[in-house]
Parts: sequence; C-alpha cells; structure tokens
Amino acid sequence: MEVTMDPLFLAWSYFRRRKLQQCSDICTKILQDNPYDQAAWSLKTRALTEMVYIDEVEVDQEGIAEMMLDESSIAQVARPGTSLRLPGTSQGGGPTPAVRPMTQSGRPITGFVRPSTQSGRPGTMEQAIKTPRTASTARPVTSASGRFIRLGTASMLTNPDGPFINLSRLNLAKYSQKPNLSRTLFEFIFHHENDVKNALDLAAQATEHAQFKDWWWKVQLGKCYYRLGLYREAEKQFRSGLNHQEVVDTYLYLAKVYQRMDQPITALNLFKQGLDHFPGEVTLLTGIARIHEEMNNIASATEYYKDVLKQDNTHVEAIACIGSNHFYTDQPEIALRFYRRLLQMGVYNCQLYNNLGLCCFYAQQYDMTLSSFERALALVANDEEQADVWYNIGHVAVGIGDLILAYQCFKLALAFNNDHAEAYNNLAVLELRKGRIEQIGDLQSSYSAAQKSEDAFPEHVDTQQLLKQLRQQFVVL
Amino acid sequence: MSLFKARDWWSAALGEGEEFDQGCICVGDVDNSGTGHDKVVVGSYMGMLRIFFPHTKKSSEAGQGSAEAQLLEVQLQNAIIQVEVGKFVSCSELLHLAVLHPRKLSVYSVSGTAGNVEHGDQYQLKLVYEHNLQRTACNMTYGTFGGVTGHHSLCIQSMDGMLMFFEQDSYSFGRFLPGFLLPGPLIYNPRTDSFLTVSSARQLESYKYETLAVATEAESRQDPDLPLKTGGKRLMPDWTLVLGEQALDLSVPSFSHSSSSTFILGERNLHCLHDNGQIRFMKKLEFNPSCFLPYTSVTDGTTNLLLGNHTNMLLVYQDVTLKWAAQLPFVPVAVRVANFPELKGVVVSLSSDGHLLCSYMGTDPSFFSTPKVDAREADYEQVDAEMKKLQKFIREVTRTQDILPKTDTEEDLSITAAVSSSMDSLSQALIQDINGLPVPSVTIQVKVKASCVVQSSKLTVSVQPPLAVTQDQFVLEPMGVGSSTVVAFSAFLNGRYPPADLTGDITVSYSSPTELNPKGVPRVLQSRFSLPLLLVCVPSSPTKSTKFKITVDTNQPPVDLNTIFPEFSAKSEDKDGNSLAFQFLSGTKVTVLASKTSQRYRIQSDSFEDIWLVVKELVQRFDLHFTKLGVKDFKKSFSGPIPLQEYFLSVDHHFQLRVSAQQYQDLLSERAVQFRAIQRRLLTRFKDKTPAPLQNLDTLLDATYSQVMALAEAAEENRAQLEEAFARLRSASHLLVLLLSLWQGLTPDQSVILEATLLPLLQDTPQLGWEESCDAAVSHLLRSCLSRSPKDQATSLAQAGGPVLGLPHDTARLKKHITLMCDRIGKGGRLTLSSEANVQVPAQVQNLAAPGGVEPIAEVAGDGEELELSQEATKFIKKKQPSKKVKKDKDSKEKKEVSREPSEAAVKEEAGGAEETVKEAKKEKKEKKESKKDSSKEPKEETKKESKKESSSSKEKKESSKEKKEGKESSKESGDKKVSKKSVKVKEKKKEPEAGEG
Repeated sequence: MEVTMDPLFLAWSYFRRRKLQQCSDICTKILQDNPYDQAAWSLKTRALTEMVYIDEVEVDQEGIAEMMLDESSIAQVARPGTSLRLPGTSQGGGPTPAVRPMTQSGRPITGFVRPSTQSGRPGTMEQAIKTPRTASTARPVTSASGRFIRLGTASMLTNPDGPFINLSRLNLAKYSQKPNLSRTLFEFIFHHENDVKNALDLAAQATEHAQFKDWWWKVQLGKCYYRLGLYREAEKQFRSGLNHQEVVDTYLYLAKVYQRMDQPITALNLFKQGLDHFPGEVTLLTGIARIHEEMNNIASATEYYKDVLKQDNTHVEAIACIGSNHFYTDQPEIALRFYRRLLQMGVYNCQLYNNLGLCCFYAQQYDMTLSSFERALALVANDEEQADVWYNIGHVAVGIGDLILAYQCFKLALAFNNDHAEAYNNLAVLELRKGRIEQIGDLQSSYSAAQKSEDAFPEHVDTQQLLKQLRQQFVVL
Repeated sequence: MSLFKARDWWSAALGEGEEFDQGCICVGDVDNSGTGHDKVVVGSYMGMLRIFFPHTKKSSEAGQGSAEAQLLEVQLQNAIIQVEVGKFVSCSELLHLAVLHPRKLSVYSVSGTAGNVEHGDQYQLKLVYEHNLQRTACNMTYGTFGGVTGHHSLCIQSMDGMLMFFEQDSYSFGRFLPGFLLPGPLIYNPRTDSFLTVSSARQLESYKYETLAVATEAESRQDPDLPLKTGGKRLMPDWTLVLGEQALDLSVPSFSHSSSSTFILGERNLHCLHDNGQIRFMKKLEFNPSCFLPYTSVTDGTTNLLLGNHTNMLLVYQDVTLKWAAQLPFVPVAVRVANFPELKGVVVSLSSDGHLLCSYMGTDPSFFSTPKVDAREADYEQVDAEMKKLQKFIREVTRTQDILPKTDTEEDLSITAAVSSSMDSLSQALIQDINGLPVPSVTIQVKVKASCVVQSSKLTVSVQPPLAVTQDQFVLEPMGVGSSTVVAFSAFLNGRYPPADLTGDITVSYSSPTELNPKGVPRVLQSRFSLPLLLVCVPSSPTKSTKFKITVDTNQPPVDLNTIFPEFSAKSEDKDGNSLAFQFLSGTKVTVLASKTSQRYRIQSDSFEDIWLVVKELVQRFDLHFTKLGVKDFKKSFSGPIPLQEYFLSVDHHFQLRVSAQQYQDLLSERAVQFRAIQRRLLTRFKDKTPAPLQNLDTLLDATYSQVMALAEAAEENRAQLEEAFARLRSASHLLVLLLSLWQGLTPDQSVILEATLLPLLQDTPQLGWEESCDAAVSHLLRSCLSRSPKDQATSLAQAGGPVLGLPHDTARLKKHITLMCDRIGKGGRLTLSSEANVQVPAQVQNLAAPGGVEPIAEVAGDGEELELSQEATKFIKKKQPSKKVKKDKDSKEKKEVSREPSEAAVKEEAGGAEETVKEAKKEKKEKKESKKDSSKEPKEETKKESKKESSSSKEKKESSKEKKEGKESSKESGDKKVSKKSVKVKEKKKEPEAGEG
C-alpha cells in the first residue's frame, strides 16, 4: 500500500540516515516547485556538504608558497629538539637510523600513512621547484593542490546544470544576518566549493553580527586564515574561540597551527592543556604521539599511543605505530601480535600482510612468511606496493640463503618500480658477491663517498670502519 | 573495526521494502502485563505497526521464531513516523501506545487475552483517541509537562517549527519556535521542566514549559512567516549553547538523582551537558554516528551509553572511554535496551530497511573471513618439477639477455617513408617567406604495414630544428594482419637559419598482444627519411669572392655539376656545369666550382657552417653517381689544412651564448629573491591591523617585476639564439668530421666514432652542454686510442679530474684537445672500437711486432677458476658496452666475427689493465721495468691478488650488509629506507663510468 509522505520530511529523514544522494534529489524536486523554500535549500546544502566533507583537522598539505613566504619562523637554525624541520637525532633512546629507516625528509618511518608524514622542507624556492614530484618522494605542492581542487569540482559532476549555489551572486551580508542559514552556507562554501575567500567574508560578517561572542564563527575564521596561510591570525581566532568555550576541535586546530609554525613544544603544551579539560580525549593523545614521533622521540610516542589504546582499544593508528616500533626494536613477536590484532579487526590490505610476513620471518615462523607475502601480492593496489613486497621477499630469500631467488625478487621489484633504490643497491651487493666488479681500488672516490655517508649518518659503524681503513691506506702511501 | 561481533539472540526481518527511522521503535510493557518484561513496538513508514515479544523458547524452529514472537501486526492508514509508550490516557495508570502519523496522532491501547491453545494468546489494538493535525508532524516527545504527576502529555514538533501540546485527549496550545528552519531532535527534560532542541542555527536551545505556555498564543494559527503582530510575550529560549553542528539525537537519562546530564549526539561530537547548559565533557567522534542511547550508570558519576555508527559498529562507552566494540550486521538507525523473560538488558537495534535484532555482547569473533588466495595444492613433486622448469627457463633467459627482451628477427611492422620528389604546390610552412624567398614544404608519406595484429600504435615524427612538420604525432587505428595505414605530413623550415641535418626520424610505438598478455608487449620501431636539399635552399648565381673555401679532390674526371644537381641546374647560367650556387633561405650563398682541368671541386661560402649541407649532398651524390657509372675505386679526399680556426669561431659563439644564458639565470634568480623579499615585506604591512605607510615598497615591487620580466624576455631571446648557435655548431662539427675522414681516409667505422665524439648530444641543456661532453669524449680518445704510450694513459687516468661535468670556464682546453686530436689523427692515429680498452694501442703495437705475442694470452696455465672468473668478467664488460653507446654494438659484433681471439684478449687485458693502471699510479710505477711481453701476464697475477683481497673485503661487506639488512624491511611507507647506509657502495659503482670518460 502506498503511503504518502511529506517530501521534505522524507528528505530530512534520508539526511539523518546519510542517504545523501536521495536527500539531495528530493530537495532538488522541492526546489523546482518552489525555488524559495529555504528549508529545502538549506537541507540540500547540508547534504552536498556532507558528501565531500573531510575533517579539516586531517587536511594538511604544505604548499611551496607557504614554505617560502613563511615569515612566522623565528630562528633560521632552531635549537635541537624544538623544531620539526631539523631531522634531529634520536632523543628518546629509540632505534638509530641504522635500524629504523627514515623518510627523505629525515624523519623515522611511521606505522601509519597520514597527511604530511612525507612532506619535506626544501631550503630555497629554486630547490623546491627542482625537487622531483613523483608520488614516493618528499614533494612540495602548490597551495591549491590537486586534492583541494578535486574536492571543489566534485560537485560539478553531480550537477550537470552548473553549481548549486552561484557564489558570486550571493549577498553574503544578507545571509550572515540569518544565523539559521549562515552556518550551513559557510560549510558549503568552505568544504564543497572550497572558496576560502568568500567563506572568510561570510565568517567575518557573521562573527560581527554575533558581536564577536560566538566561538564557532571564530574557529571558522581561524580555519579560513589557516588555509590562507595567515597563521598568526588563525592562532588569534582560535585562542579567542577557546576563551569562549573549550572545544576539542579548537585545540586540534590550534595545535595544527603551531605545528605549521614549527613550534612543536607549544603544540605539545596545548595538547596537554586540552587534556586537562577533556581527559582521555583520543584525538588529543594521538596528536601528542604524532608530534613525539615526528621529533624522533619514539619512546614517548609509544607511551602516548599506549594511552590512546587505553581509551580506545580499536584505534588502528595506535596499534600500527606500536607494532612497527616493536618491529624496529627487535621484538618481531610482539609486533606480530599487534599486526594480528589489526587483521582480526578487519584491516585487510597489502601493507598489513607485508608487515605480517616480515614479522613472521624475523620471529622465525617461516611457514607463515611466504603465505603472508602471497596474500600481500594478491592484494597489491599499485606497482609501488608490488615492488615493495617483492623487495621484502628478496630480503627473506637473502635471509634463507637462496641468493638466486633473491636476485630474481630484486629484479622483479625493479620491473615494477624502476627507481626502487634499495633494490638496485641490494642487487649490486649480490653482484658484488658474484665477483662482478668493474672497478676496485679507487681509494679517492671511495673516501669521498664514505665521507658523504658520514655526513648523512654520523653514527654509522660501517662507514667509520671503512674510513679508518682508508686513512690507514693513505698513510701507507 | 572490531574484534568481536554482537551476539545474535533473536532477530527478524520486517516486511519488504519498508523504511524505518529513528522514532520507529520503542520498548515497554505496552500490554500492561505487569511482569515487567518489555515488548518491542515497531512502526514503519509504510504504515505497518508490529509488536514483538522476543523469546528463544523454540529456537530450534528458526523460521517460526519471528512469527511466534510477533504479538500483533496491523496495517494503519498512514505512515508511522514515531511510536511511544506512556500514560497517555487520563484517569488511567495503564501504558498506552501513541502513534504519530504525518497528519494525525493516535493513541491506542493494546490488550492481550489469554487463549486456550498453545499459540492462542490474542492481542488487540483499540483506538482510544486521535487528533488530526493542522501541520505535518516531524517528531514528538512526552513527559510530565508542568510537573503534573501520574500521566504524560505529548508535544509534537511540526516540520515548520510549531510545537503542539496535547494533554490527553485535548489540545492545549501551539507555539512557533523562533528562528526556525529545519526541525531538530526534541526532548523534554523533567528535571528542569523544559524542552531541548537543536535548531538550524546549530545551537542547543532550552525552552521552559512555563515560558512556552505564557507566550503568544495567537500566532499559532497564523502564517509562520509573518512577524508577530498580536500582543503577548515573545518566545525566547531559556538558554542556548552553540554546538557548531547539527544533532542527530538528544537524550536526558535519569538513572539516579545525582546524575543530571543531558547527552547530545552531534554529527561529529558527543556532548554531555549539565542541566544548566555547561559542558561536562565532549568527545570527538572519528566516524559518522547513527544513533545512541545512554542506558545506565554503572559507577557513580559516569554514564554508559550505546552508540551506533555508519561503519556497522555498536560501541559501548563509559563517558569517553571505549569499553566494548561489537560488529553489527547493519547500520542501526535506533537502538534500545529491553528486558525479556530469559534475558535482561538485551540490545534491540533496528536498521533502516527493517532488520530488527536483539543481541548481547559476547566474545564471538567478528567473522571476517579472508578471501582465499588461489593457492595451488602442495603437490610437491609437481611443484618441484614446475620450479625446475621455470628455473631452467630463467637461467636460459638470463644468459641470453638482461632485463631487456630480445629483439625479434622479424618485425611486426614495416615502415616505409616516401619523400615526395617535388615540393608542395601550396606551401604548408608557417613562415611564408624569408627575405623575400618563399619557404617551400615537402610531403612525406609514411606507410605502416603490419604483419600481425598490432594495437594502440602511435607514430611520432621528429626532425631537427629549425625544421618542423605539420603534424608530429599520429594515433593509428588497431591493425589486423597484413593491413596497412598511410599517414602524410609536410616538412618545412621554421626558422631563419639552416638545419644541421636534413634527416628525420619516425618512431612507431605499438603493442603486439600475445596469448599470455592480451594487453600486448610494448614495442618500438624506428625509421629514417631524408629531406631534399631544395627544402632549405634555392638555386642562385655563383659568387666569386668568399671567405671560406674547401677543396675536395677526386680520382675521377670532373663531372658536370648540372647532372649531379639536376634540380638546381635550371636556373644556373653556367651551361657547362662548372659552377653551381645554392642560396639558403637564410640568405647565405654557397658556390660549388668544378675545376675543368683537375679533378677538384671547390665549395665556397661566406659562412663556414652552411657549407656542410652542400658538401654532404655533393659527396653523397658523387658516390651515387660513380656507383651508377660502375666506377669501383672512386676516391675523394681532402688535402687541406683542417679549418679549425673557423670551427673554433663557431664553438666560441656557442660558448658565449651559454655563458650569457648562465648569467641570465643567475640574475633572474637574484631578482626573484628580491621580488619575494619585497612581497614578504608588503604582506606583513598589509596584514597589520593598523596599516603602516608602504614607504614606496610598491614602486620597488613594480620595478622589480618589470626587471624580472625584462630579464626573462632577454633570457628567452638568448635561448633562441643558443638554439641557432647549436644548430650551427652541429653543422660545423659534421663538416669537421667529414673533412677529417676525407683527409685521412677514415673508414666508416672510424667516422662513426669520430662523430660520436664530436657530437655526443642531440640537445644541450644548461646542466650538460656540448662543450664539456665533447671535451670529455675527446680527452678520452686522446688518452686511449690516440695516446702515445701506455704510461701516458696511466698517469692521465690517475689524474682524472672531477667526475662531474660542468660548464667550463673557457674553451681553451677544449680547443687544445681538439687540435691535438686532429694532430694525432693526422699523424696516423687510428680510432678503433676496441680502443675502449685502455691499453689498446700498445697491444696493437705488440701485435704488429710479435703477432704471436698476444695469442697465448688465454693460456690455460692459470687455474681454471681464475680463467672462469676473467671470462665472466669479459662477458660482463661486453654486456656493458652496448649500454654506453648503441652504435658500437654493431661494430663489436663485426669485430667479434673477424677476430674473436684478439678482441677477447684485449678485453681481458682491459680487465687487468684497469687495475694495473691504478696500481701503477699507486706504487709509483714499480712495474715500469717490466717488459711489454710480460705485461700481458702481469695483470693476471694482479687480478688474482686483487680478487683475493676482494674476497676478503667482500666477506667483510657481507657481514655488514647482513647487519644492514635487518633494518631494511620496508614498512608501509615506500619512502626510502637505507640508501644513506649503503651508499658507500653505490657511489663507488656510480663513479666508475665517469672516471672512464673524464
């Protein structure tokens, strides 16, 4: 039996159940009949926003312009332990880079991929432009990065007739007077249209209308300023927002500003202040852990990740990070337990099986190793992953002494990703062992190479030994 | 993501295609049985009302479970948007069921009468009263409004923001909420006797019942859009709190008197407030929640709540701490806790499509079954056999080839390019005329014929600048066996200087699918074509006096130039064919004069570089002409002094431009830095709240900007000039090579080497230009095959400069080297391919002196292992060579055929020689006194020594590499891992080829 229902009610109900497309469709129909139905307009705006919403806290990409025109940095050379820009040596007694690999920007590899874990910071504009921009390198991006643009244009596809709201013809002043419409409209402009300038206009007028007493508008203003790269202004707005009301999000945004301004210590203090107000807040704890990790203080990062797990034992990032830390501190068995837990929780991807395979190998559970890698290979999403998995299988082969297999694996890794430097290196080592040497005895170049190596990693034992040997040789001459 | 799933206790699928939402479920003892057990009432948007009493008595009959547990099913006339159980009938303590339809509110009583048979309990639904609503209802709440005890009143929120209050069967009043747009959740807080809702302004608003009751009545029947006109109090919220997000649900639990909290489930956060609107705590949710329910308070001061989300999870929180997470089979839209006879505290959840589930928390693992990898059964023999087969195959393949596939003898495609013999009637050129001369174009037809199925083929044409083609890329249709495609395009001059080369390249990339690889293996095929001279010059009248002259001798009687150049003869006034003139479109004239008496030809022009094209053409046509005539021993030669001075002019010009390009680059970056610095200062000024004066910074910015632009334009212009200079330099180099080979009668092989030396690059870039690469190549030649003695080489190799090629300070060194090279070639130095080996010249000398001296070098006297090693090395080195210079590949093959033994010996010597040279340098030439004959043995011994040393050091390295590898596993990120560590070795390797060259 057909039961008639009010379309607006139905759309509202769909929205609550996050059936956003249906909701938007119904609203479109209502608006066709009555273009001035504010309720339907507002609901559609919300639905469209929700479709593309990404938590602003997580969006973080540093553009060339931000890096170069950064007038907020105080000292060119920061004191050790106070800056994220210096690759800083290990402070917390964590594993050395000999054991735990580094990214190109000199930070330890984490167990979890998130925005800005790969961003480096070149010294000059020229260098920034020259830095290669392939996916697996530390790359600068322009401020209107592809990702933001894609978010902005995604809406166009769903509306072949053009944008739902024509921003240029919008009377922002009028809307800023209507509190029941303005917030929705702001989120639409900011998240869906990605038009920060107009969003800023609206927020500025609305906060004025609210007599500068509404924390929400201040936070939104801060978000806009942040996007525009005006960090000091953003900081001011967020601080003022916090004075009105303590909100978790504001703490996160403010900490993000401090991280961008390269003041990790301030950010840490802020997080701790936030934890006083919101004890056990997972996002704040994670923030602290991430900063510690980026500053190469792995031990305290792990402590905080453990705190996160005490609050929320299904937190994937924390489990993955603790797992990788155990792995790099020679406890593959424990790491294996963390990774297994992830598997049981339903994380099912190539990387996890890859890690499981390695853990199994180093924990001497050889029977599981190859089947893990087999699964990893079955799950690969792109060639880079495939190359990595083959590279690791090659390692296992080296470990069990099957050099032919290792040779083939490294070659396969290269076939999938021909700038896999490690695979080249290890292939060369294998060739060396086969005695295929093209040049030997060039002490001068050996010495200069060793010196460069020492610059890159002063504590490396092999380099030091080699250098010693070379110096002796030179003395003999 | 959870470890466990919610354990099924009882479940039912309600209807088909029915829809449910938040309000569609309630639990309570609706039939007033008095046992305290709850019934589950579910209404759907399709108007179905169902009451369940779940139990597991007959769990064995799974199919009947839901039928038996279902007490009642009624189809009502209208959609049901909310059901509530409460004391809605006056003078009755019994619980009644309120059902909210879009336009109607009905209150029913549910009663059951016990039957005699097993399934005999009979339930009835009786309408007690109903209200027709003026406005579309959205949701409702109930409670003891105004503090009355004993019965519940109802408050309905309409879609347009009116709150309608009903006291049992009478309508009491209606009020419009101020600033309303879209309805939010509504709840009654009995502790403060107020209503809470989250408005479209994203704030929580609290209205006292009292305030509502005394506010203006009249407007409730008026149009809501009109402002208030009648008297009465304006409705104002008691307090508001900005949440900044829309709320999904509100809840005011009352477990104990001490706890007085209000919970708000927002779209992104969970808030908990005190009754006065102060935040108690909040939690940021990292998922999209769908519903929640605070259900109890286990320890004092904390509240436990259930939270459902859109990733099919049911989470149990104690305040902000996650206590349990369970997987549900669906996204719950509503969740309740109910008590049933067998089990207390059952979680009842409802999905949007009518899945009703009663569950409890248990440690059933959430059944995430990993899909099976298509692993073969471990039939070890079979696997072993396959493994062996594959290994064999791999070994074979590694022996014959490296990563690159072997080229097929028969190509899948054949390309034939036909250059039309006459110029296009209508020129396609972009520049229509240069200095009054019309620019012609010529059509080239390329025929691509496929001998097998070919997919996604692309044809690319490239010609030397300043030549250009009308279309340089063609996408070809997939071709079948035997089919062919023809593409045509025109080539023309697109610049005001002649090109260095009139040939063009055609590249076809295609993929030929095989059985195993339907996408196809990518393949590339290349072909060349040469354009007619007429494309860049026109016939003209000869000039007598010119700057540059070149004379070519032949051993045949002079020929009529007009027969050689028929297309240019038409305009020539000189009928006896003694002179012919070409005028390039750029203006320079080249005259060819044939001597009447001697067998000489003179080519003269004002521009040294422009002679090249004509000379080349002349030499080619002579060859062709005399081959046609059947003359076998046609020889041409150049007696001349090599015109190095003219050549160096061209080199210098090119170098000057490169230097100025570098200067422009530096200036540009300097200005850009200045520009950014000004920008930064301006930015800080503009950002200031109290604007400071700009202090002419804007003028400075403008000036810097125009400087940058002017510099950029100048740099651009310089780049164009550099391109031209490079084309000219190439012409000059070609000419030099040709003259050198004519002069000394070099074989084609040697000319090829010479050409590769003088023209190492097709393009020069700011990073790597012609001068440095040419210098490197020339000095390598000087050191290797053109050097005077092996000792010489050793010292020069040991003193090899920095391995990095860069723009030199001046061209003096280069000029000196080129002069030296010409000198040595003139003195009989020969360029040979095997000269790649550094000791080649002495070896040759040796060869001449004592032909047997080299032969026994492969003596088997040494132990077999040693021999094997060196042979392996030989192979390796041989393999290496083609990658350096492709051209040599062919040569080496030829050589191999002719004299396998000597070349092998040579290469072997090379293996040792490389070490020998270094040793020599190191040990201050201790081995100087060794005789030459012995020197061939000597390196072998050294090799042995070396290799011993090597093996010990490799052991060392083995250990270290093992150690390194431990840290080497890639984790999830594919960032770089260990490069820094192993780079010692990598760099060693990298340096090698460069050291060889420079």
